Amino acid sequence: MKARTRKLLRRAAIAAGVLAAAALLAFAVALFYYDRQVARQFEGRRWTLPAKVYAAPLELYAGLPFSPDDLIAELTRLHYREATELTRPGTYRRRRGRFEIAVRAARFADEERPARIVAVTIEGGTIAGLRDAKNAGIPIFRLDPLLIGSIFPIHGEDRIVLTPEEVPPLLPAAIKAVEDRKFATHHGVDTAAIARALWVNLRAGKVEQGGSTLTQQLVKSYFLDGRRTLGRKLEEAMMALALEARYDKRDLMTAYINEIYLGQQGDRAIHGFGLASQFWFGKPLEELDLPEIALLVAIVRGPPYYDPRRFPERARKRRDLVLRILAQQKVVTEAEAAVAAAKPLGVAPRPSGGYYPAYLDFVRQTLRRDYKEEDLTEAGLSVFTSFDPRAQLAAERALEGELARLDRSRKPPAGKAGLEGAAVVTLPQSGEVVALVGGRNVSFDGFNRALAGARPIGSLVKPFVYLAAIETGRWNATSVLDDTPIEVPLSKGRIWRPQNFSRDWNGPVSMVRALSESLNLATVHLGLDVGVPKVAQLFTRFGLETAPPPLPSLLLGAVELPPLGVAQLYNGLANGGFHVPLRAVRTVVNARGERIGAYPVKIAPVAAPDAVYQVDRMMTYVISRGTGRAAAARLPRGLVVAGKTGSSSDLRDGWFAGFSGSHLAVVWIGYDDNRPTGVTGSSGSLIVWQKIMSALDTSSWQPPMPESLEDMAIDYPSGLRVTTGCSQDEVIVAVPRGTQTPFMAGCAPPSGIVDWLRGIMR
Amino acid sequence: MAHRFGSLFAIAAMLALAACVTPPYQPLPPSAPGSPGSGASGGGQPGQAEAATPLPTPPPVPSPIPAPKAHRLSVATGALVTQARGATAKGDFDAAAATLERALRIEPDNPLVWIEMGRMRLASGDAAQAENMGRRALALAAGAPREQSNAWRLIADALRARGRNVAAQEAMQRAEALTTP
Repeated sequence: MKARTRKLLRRAAIAAGVLAAAALLAFAVALFYYDRQVARQFEGRRWTLPAKVYAAPLELYAGLPFSPDDLIAELTRLHYREATELTRPGTYRRRRGRFEIAVRAARFADEERPARIVAVTIEGGTIAGLRDAKNAGIPIFRLDPLLIGSIFPIHGEDRIVLTPEEVPPLLPAAIKAVEDRKFATHHGVDTAAIARALWVNLRAGKVEQGGSTLTQQLVKSYFLDGRRTLGRKLEEAMMALALEARYDKRDLMTAYINEIYLGQQGDRAIHGFGLASQFWFGKPLEELDLPEIALLVAIVRGPPYYDPRRFPERARKRRDLVLRILAQQKVVTEAEAAVAAAKPLGVAPRPSGGYYPAYLDFVRQTLRRDYKEEDLTEAGLSVFTSFDPRAQLAAERALEGELARLDRSRKPPAGKAGLEGAAVVTLPQSGEVVALVGGRNVSFDGFNRALAGARPIGSLVKPFVYLAAIETGRWNATSVLDDTPIEVPLSKGRIWRPQNFSRDWNGPVSMVRALSESLNLATVHLGLDVGVPKVAQLFTRFGLETAPPPLPSLLLGAVELPPLGVAQLYNGLANGGFHVPLRAVRTVVNARGERIGAYPVKIAPVAAPDAVYQVDRMMTYVISRGTGRAAAARLPRGLVVAGKTGSSSDLRDGWFAGFSGSHLAVVWIGYDDNRPTGVTGSSGSLIVWQKIMSALDTSSWQPPMPESLEDMAIDYPSGLRVTTGCSQDEVIVAVPRGTQTPFMAGCAPPSGIVDWLRGIMR
Repeated sequence: MAHRFGSLFAIAAMLALAACVTPPYQPLPPSAPGSPGSGASGGGQPGQAEAATPLPTPPPVPSPIPAPKAHRLSVATGALVTQARGATAKGDFDAAAATLERALRIEPDNPLVWIEMGRMRLASGDAAQAENMGRRALALAAGAPREQSNAWRLIADALRARGRNVAAQEAMQRAEALTTP
């Protein structure tokens, strides 16, 4: 009996031992498996960084027109703070026109610059000089490049990754107090918290409280979907244990701060506190104060539910709860919490964080040709672009302002969307795109009208008709064109009867007047004489991929192009007949700081400089006295610019494209559903263009006149030559040297007048 | 560019006003623009006959053959050009290009910057771009013989690098013609 019992017990013990060993083995295998998985993911995560995209840095040098306000605006944009002592980079101090700036270390396309101190002196609205800490002169200096966004994967995770040093100590303290009080001591799982949560949930009959540690939340964000099943919970716990065994608490806290989900903007998921700070408050994390940090910690619980823009009351309640917990946990004092709770939420009205989706779209388009998607979204590349935040802001403001004004004056019918618009600004000599607005809602990452909104260009084609004519050598600005009704036979016996915008006609007109006033009949007569194919070929010569079909209607702009395509065409006019491909990206640098891609300027002569000069000169009269004259009075005094209006049939599209000496801007306005706008190119888009040009620090169009040309004063309506001051309607055009043009009656040079008077007296 | 009445011309203007009555509209034959400007024979007005005969005095219309211009680099662009030359000497053409484009953004119309870029491209082996940049510089150097000459030299060197020796020779002759007084 005893022996049998003993035998049974021994068997049971063996069985239990085997079972226990098996369980231990299974646990060990599982732990090993999860450990491997966790390690791979964690290490990967630490280096999975979306490519960061930077604006062109602002260059400061003696002689640059720049006011103290301009400098302060720029420093503020870069989050520099005024201080009495320059103890750390990112601060500046000012004594009247003298600024001392503790500049941060920065990486540029062509060099790496350590942090340093630089003194900028501004006198009379101009930079007088730059000096370093040893008071030695510096010829040129650039501020940090502004981060304008990142290229995140299709599933949308965007983030700015911070190092532990960049995180204010209050943040981890607040996260621990609110989300995981035992973070410092537990091994990944807080059994007491789980038991408590279980108890609460059992009593409530549903899941009400979570007992997850920060580590578990991290695991959930890394690996698992949102389902809350027992199996998931077990898996999560195993992984949390594995993570804790491998990494120290500081690494885990940093990972949490960079990983956690904190907001949404369309397809763009805001991850990590670094980007969330920009997204919700428009400033870097290190500059947040207690109520703002408390709000971010409040949002952790449920970004859509506690969205402070959509549900401010709900968000505020939770923020104040967070503040009370922080006081209870002695992270802050009761008094500090009370002061903070009295503050408003302080959320920026719209998502910021230097996010310019339309421009980034163009950057992405370039990069996708040369890089794999994973490289862009994971490899931590730095992309340096030609983006100019000042030009972008000017373009956005000008477009938004004018569209709002037009919508007020012509209310769209109920249920119909308001007017839309797009704008592109380039530096014509280098082909750099400095600003790009893809629609009215500039922070919306959707249909990009600047890149993809192909619309009929209307009269924007005309400078190319005139260029084709001048290139033949048979015409010049003084030539007389025939502005009379015309019937153009088309295929299948149809007949095209173009009309002037005024429905009237003017008879013989000078070429300069025909272009300035955008006369359709004169242009069709000319274009048919020159030959439509010659006009069509200019499109490919000036950099477009395909030439439009050479049909007569091309002469009045029956060809669809997006604003960026128009900008490419006009860039050749603005650049004296030289084509440069428009580009956004200058250089790509990898995570180790090595240049791995460059997109330098490329230039090709595509039209004779003297022919282009003659057309450009005529285009200055579009502004000073033609269809663009509404802009002339509002432009900065003395600024010479050239441009052209355009509108499609029934005013469905309103265009203006034009340039100064240093900038080209193209503006389009219309409805997305293509209904008529009632807005001509000379009102809506012209005004936007004028406002953009006025806001830019731009220079006059005044290239040196080609030596083969000379100035000639002519009577504007007739094209007849005059002596200066003779005609009340005189313009000065550029013509090939030796051009024989008859003088207008009574406007020949003095000897001529004398002869003529003699003739009358006789 | 728009010129107003000068008081000096008041008398001439009054005379002109009397004479400049817009002629009645007469349609032109479509072939009128055959030779530039000549198509504007509005017919028979007295003032126009003189145009054909040589004028005793040069017309008072500005027809400048100005004194030769000279271009120079600003202090800022000069510093960038020096930096870029350093990078070119080390064979770091990407850095040199990036630095020269900074200069280009400050002085986009200065032919010297374009000549510098072209020289750098030639050193990097891109003779086609070097030639084009030389041509860009040439257009910007209108009225400035010294810079035109340097642009032609760049074009000549770029053409020679591509084995187009005859064209290179011609370009070199143009360069030399511009510098010999």
